[in-house]
Amino acid sequence: MSTEQITTKSVSTNNTSIKHISVKRYLPDSSAEAYWQQYEMPVDDSTSLLDALNHIKEQLDSTLSYRWSCRMAICGSCGVMVNGIPKLGCKTFLRDYEGEIRIEPLSHFPVQRDLVVDMEIFLEHLAAVKPYLIDDNPVKPYDPKAPETYQQTPEQLARYKQFANCINCGLCYSACPQFGLNPEFLGPAALTLAHRYNLDSRDHGKKQRMTELNRHEGVWSCTFVGFCSQVCPKHVDPAAAVNQGKVEAAKHTLIALFKG
Amino acid sequence: MMEKLAINEHGPQHKQAFDEPLWWSLFSAGGVCFAVILPAVILFIAICLPLGLLPAGALSYERASNLLFSVPGFLFVGAVVCLPLFHAAHRLRHGLFDISVGNDILNKKLMYGAAALLSVLALGLVVAGMLR
Repeated sequence: MSTEQITTKSVSTNNTSIKHISVKRYLPDSSAEAYWQQYEMPVDDSTSLLDALNHIKEQLDSTLSYRWSCRMAICGSCGVMVNGIPKLGCKTFLRDYEGEIRIEPLSHFPVQRDLVVDMEIFLEHLAAVKPYLIDDNPVKPYDPKAPETYQQTPEQLARYKQFANCINCGLCYSACPQFGLNPEFLGPAALTLAHRYNLDSRDHGKKQRMTELNRHEGVWSCTFVGFCSQVCPKHVDPAAAVNQGKVEAAKHTLIALFKG
Repeated sequence: MMEKLAINEHGPQHKQAFDEPLWWSLFSAGGVCFAVILPAVILFIAICLPLGLLPAGALSYERASNLLFSVPGFLFVGAVVCLPLFHAAHRLRHGLFDISVGNDILNKKLMYGAAALLSVLALGLVVAGMLR
């Protein structure tokens, strides 16, 4: 697929041009107000937004702060707002933008400095849904002499595999209007990971997670806007996971009613 | 962190939303009725009937009241009036929250209360017609 894209779009390093990038700066040491700063730089078809930010940091303005690490859309650190849409800097190419490019820190999170946001609330929500395998009743006690691995069929894997691709970049939280209105909402990624472990045949922690999901701030705060699934750089489809979670939460409530 | 979690386990933050599955089920069922049944109802009653495209007497007073004041009529009113009312109430409640109007607890009572009241009224009329 990548070769196709390259040939049809004829991406080359020859198409150099000058582009303007406006970055929303916030330097709490010198000013309580955020302000816009424009940078001008040469770019070509292969320049990603992260390359551009690195160029600014190294050549133009060393005071700029932003997060990055892997530059290949797997670490999830370089999320920023590009013309108002949450994007990964490393997966966004300047060739796709005409005119001015406006870069802001991710929405709905407190800004610490420039493009660096405080993601603590997201990490708290993530921890609350216990996104790890919980096995209270192992089939056999662990025997160090003959350790047994968990067995899973391809069908059992397929049930949750898509939801396991989350890289915790937080783009879906910036896209979610409900998280913007109420930061106590567990939010797309946390609810998706809860669903991912609930669907895993090796896991027995569903009961513990359902008490989190079945709160007003759990699945029920979602209004199925669906923007989370559009911005997700790994095509996880959190909107589907959250709404499947609503069905599970409804079943959980029915069962709780009958059991008393 | 552990202390905080321990408080959460028993605190108000951990309150289960036992009512939400009910509203959401009514909203979902109402959405299906809105999408599937209501267009057909509008086609027959609001378009074909006034244009005279239905056979004469298809919905004469006699025939229409016999159809309505029956068990299928009761189900029909439930599907085209009551469930869509709850669907609309759910959307209005969340819409009001989205534009930060009122508070959610009051909005819930007003919206679902109005839907329930109008539903009881509509179904009550059918039952009254069946008993006449």
